[in-house]
Amino acid sequence: MAAAGGGWAAVCEKFRTARTLSAVESRKDPETEPYRSKYSARALLQEVKQLLSAAEEGGEARLLAVRRAVLEYELGVNHTDTEELSAGEEHLQRCTQLLEPHRLSPDCVSLYIQAQNNLGILWSERDEIKTAQTYLESAEALYNQYMKEDGNPPLDPSEHFMAEEDKLTDQERSKRFEKAYTHTLYYLAQVYQHLEMIEKAAQYCHTTLKRQLEYCGYYPVEWALNAATLSQYYLSKQCFMESRHCLAAASVIFSQAEQVPSAEDNETEQDQQDLRQRKAEIARCWIKYCLNLLQSARKLLEDNIGELDPDRQLELKAQRKKEEDEKEKGRKKAVLFGTSDICDSVLAMEEKVSSVYPLDFQEAREIFLVGQNYVQEAKEFFQVDGYVTDHIEIVQDHSALFKVLAFFEEDYERRCKMHKRRIDMLEPIYADLNPQYYLLISRQLQFELADTYYEMMDLKVAIGNRLEELDSHTIKKINSLAQLAIKYYELFLDSLRNPDKVFPEELEEDVLRPAMVAKFHIARLYGKLITSDSKKQLENMQTSLEYYTFLVDYCEKYPDAVRAIETELELSKEMVGLLPTRMERLRAKLCPFI
Amino acid sequence: CLFTFLCPRSRESAEGGRVIVEVDDKVAKVRNIKVDSRLDGTWDSREKTVAFSFDYCYWSVDPEDPKYASQEMVFQDLGTSVLSGAFRGYNICLFAYGQTGSGKTYTMMGTPVSHTIHFTLRGLFSRKDDYSDQTASCRVKVSFLEIYNERVRDLLKQSDRKKPYTLRVREHPETGPYVQGLTQRLVTDYKQVVELLEEGIAKRITAATHIHNASSRSHAIFTIHYTQAILENNLPSEIASKINLVDLAGSERADPSYCRDRITEGANINKSLVTLGIVISTLAQNSQMFSSCQSINTITSEGENSHVDSPSVGSISGTRRPAYIPYRDSILTWLLKDSLGGNSKTIMIATISPASSSYNETMSTLRYASNAKNIINKPRVNEDANVKLIRELREEIDRLKTMLMSFELRNSSPSWSDDRDGNLTELVLQNEMKVCMIYLML
Repeated sequence: MAAAGGGWAAVCEKFRTARTLSAVESRKDPETEPYRSKYSARALLQEVKQLLSAAEEGGEARLLAVRRAVLEYELGVNHTDTEELSAGEEHLQRCTQLLEPHRLSPDCVSLYIQAQNNLGILWSERDEIKTAQTYLESAEALYNQYMKEDGNPPLDPSEHFMAEEDKLTDQERSKRFEKAYTHTLYYLAQVYQHLEMIEKAAQYCHTTLKRQLEYCGYYPVEWALNAATLSQYYLSKQCFMESRHCLAAASVIFSQAEQVPSAEDNETEQDQQDLRQRKAEIARCWIKYCLNLLQSARKLLEDNIGELDPDRQLELKAQRKKEEDEKEKGRKKAVLFGTSDICDSVLAMEEKVSSVYPLDFQEAREIFLVGQNYVQEAKEFFQVDGYVTDHIEIVQDHSALFKVLAFFEEDYERRCKMHKRRIDMLEPIYADLNPQYYLLISRQLQFELADTYYEMMDLKVAIGNRLEELDSHTIKKINSLAQLAIKYYELFLDSLRNPDKVFPEELEEDVLRPAMVAKFHIARLYGKLITSDSKKQLENMQTSLEYYTFLVDYCEKYPDAVRAIETELELSKEMVGLLPTRMERLRAKLCPFI
Repeated sequence: CLFTFLCPRSRESAEGGRVIVEVDDKVAKVRNIKVDSRLDGTWDSREKTVAFSFDYCYWSVDPEDPKYASQEMVFQDLGTSVLSGAFRGYNICLFAYGQTGSGKTYTMMGTPVSHTIHFTLRGLFSRKDDYSDQTASCRVKVSFLEIYNERVRDLLKQSDRKKPYTLRVREHPETGPYVQGLTQRLVTDYKQVVELLEEGIAKRITAATHIHNASSRSHAIFTIHYTQAILENNLPSEIASKINLVDLAGSERADPSYCRDRITEGANINKSLVTLGIVISTLAQNSQMFSSCQSINTITSEGENSHVDSPSVGSISGTRRPAYIPYRDSILTWLLKDSLGGNSKTIMIATISPASSSYNETMSTLRYASNAKNIINKPRVNEDANVKLIRELREEIDRLKTMLMSFELRNSSPSWSDDRDGNLTELVLQNEMKVCMIYLML
């Protein structure tokens, strides 16, 4: 080659500088000139391109074509990075055209895949997701074909502008090639997500994580967080084994990050804080895991009034015995993360909590305890002061853990105590909360407190029914619990009032159902208050009637509301019809001779 | 919530492109040139024009145009509702959203006078003056911050060059989300605020991109804390309200770490593998799950995906709720959490450029703005408690019916002697008491 020797070395140097500018220097560009280094890199690349075409005659055509393709690729990426999509597209297209005939050869395949990756990105930025998909899927196919037909570590694009002695080792080549392919998969994951092919997207995310681990291309903290996030996806699909695996891997990889003593001592407090936050976030994912596993089990076990169905329990236990081993192992292979040593730690981590539905109190309790431990861990970081929303969400999860555990508890007294624990954790945070800034959370808490008191009252009634006779203590207890439930429903309804304390004529759609349900529950609660005083009883009935009437009247005035509360309305109508007669009887009884 | 759409001045004339946007009362229509210019008889099923309807639409392209809307007009509609809300103690949040270059900064923060913010303040202070001789007194404090790359900077403080972004967002149970260490300046008149505002604007980061030579690459929030001390029933009390004026970064930004990704539905691909989690978290949000853990649930806005079916009554006992996703909403949404729902009023100004070259951006801005109309913060009901109650009440109704029916039967039966009737009534009453006790116990 004519330009060989000194000339070529200079070309290579220019190319290398351009790459450094683009990849390293550009990060330090001032915020007012974000693309300064990119533009300098572009200028250099263009110079290289000129030099190359000057040396055109005499050179080997194929070699030149490939080098030109490398430059077109770099220019294409450069233009895309600086928000000049059309120019970027032209360069990238030229790159793929030049490479088309050789795309399966070891010196071209990696570049070709990367060019297609970038075309995929480019089209996604234009909102043409289907076009992006075509490029990326073709990159994926090319990788697979190359690995099948050749499989040797191919050249990295940068090697085309390197002196012979600087060329990369096979190991490094393979690493870079695999990385390019990992990116293809990751971009495909996003494409599938945008196309709402959720399952496929998740599968590609999973593969991306797996490959990052295999090729050591990850930051432990980020990886762990990503895996923990993926666990949440599996949770939403009720795939508890996969979810647990992701979480266990997340915890194991995260502990790597913790163990590495900070390379530099000047690691800021901020970094430490972030690390603690990530840890707490992974703990929160574990909480959700435990909670969802328990709740799903509850769904399977409950009868039509939400109590544990013993027949169902026996049935599921028998079924579990049968299935146990076979199925799980088959599924597991497909999703397993990591090399053998990581794998062992992950398996050890997994053993700490079950991934099958708990079917009795003992099993449920074990999961509950694991969840509760993570609640403590998460709360250490997410304290009320500074993290109000997160803290409360964690407390709400804690409450939910107790609630679902109570379902598995047979003894009513102990069950009631579990609900009391919920009250004890929810009431104080509710009291401290300024509803002006946390209106939605306050409302959630009001409703949850009301429901919990209701549940406790129900349990007390059930306990009372087992007694020969309701003693006055139990009656008092029942009444006070009902009053507290009413109080919190009323607080919720009060939160709907406008700043002038007026209850809205017409309810906003988003609060319509909750408000109506609150009214409905209050109506019912007044009907349940126990009193031996008939006058008092009449009064309660009157109040109850008023609340039922509210529902009926409201729906008459705003017929659109009917949709949201059909059943409640139907029952309220009946009650509005029946209660006055019933009260009439009671009155008659009070003064039989009038 | 009130959503406003504004078609502002543009660089249209400089560019000489075709105007593709029309405003007709409260509807904005966008013509698709690509489709338009094709030959008749193409098989393209896309609509040539797409219409979006808003609460208000303004046309500020050509001052000669009869439909021309000046900033004054925009304010009359906007400012009035901001002010009346603030006086009543609502939190107000005013967003400007749109492509860089379409005049958003012009609307919110830009050059002196005649801007919404100024109008709002002028209104506040004139109102304040009205009150000066009455029992009420009020305080106005302002703060001004910028969010750039998910970091917060105080715009009212001399910045330390080495550490320009050090502020953390925190939450306090009493005072809500706040930025730790953010300067709050007490102001007493309109002029002071304008000075502060200008000082802050000068500090804002704007960078050269090809689209606009002074495009905003950061979000800015100008907050007015407004406290009125009043006497209510002869007792001193306070009404506090916050007005947030938010200037969102240009919508063509492609940086994935930008919070814009969380609030728009851009189809961009994140390039860096580090952001993988964002992808999965949207996955998890898309497939919301069954669980009965929450009585009421908050759904943050994620555009169309956040539409949640209102629970079908009685058939399911449970609410759908996404799992915990360890990717925090952006700093912006976090800070404005209390302003995006609940006891606050949100106003959205979407600015677009009528030029054909901005077709894609215009469409995405409009789509976003009309989706934003659907932002919901919905409390939800714990259905499993409800189902139980309904079942129980049904049983009671049946009992009541049977009971009352037996009364009617008896009452309509003739020829009872007074004596026997009396005894029977007694008996029935006793029965009723029993029944009564039974269902009270249930």
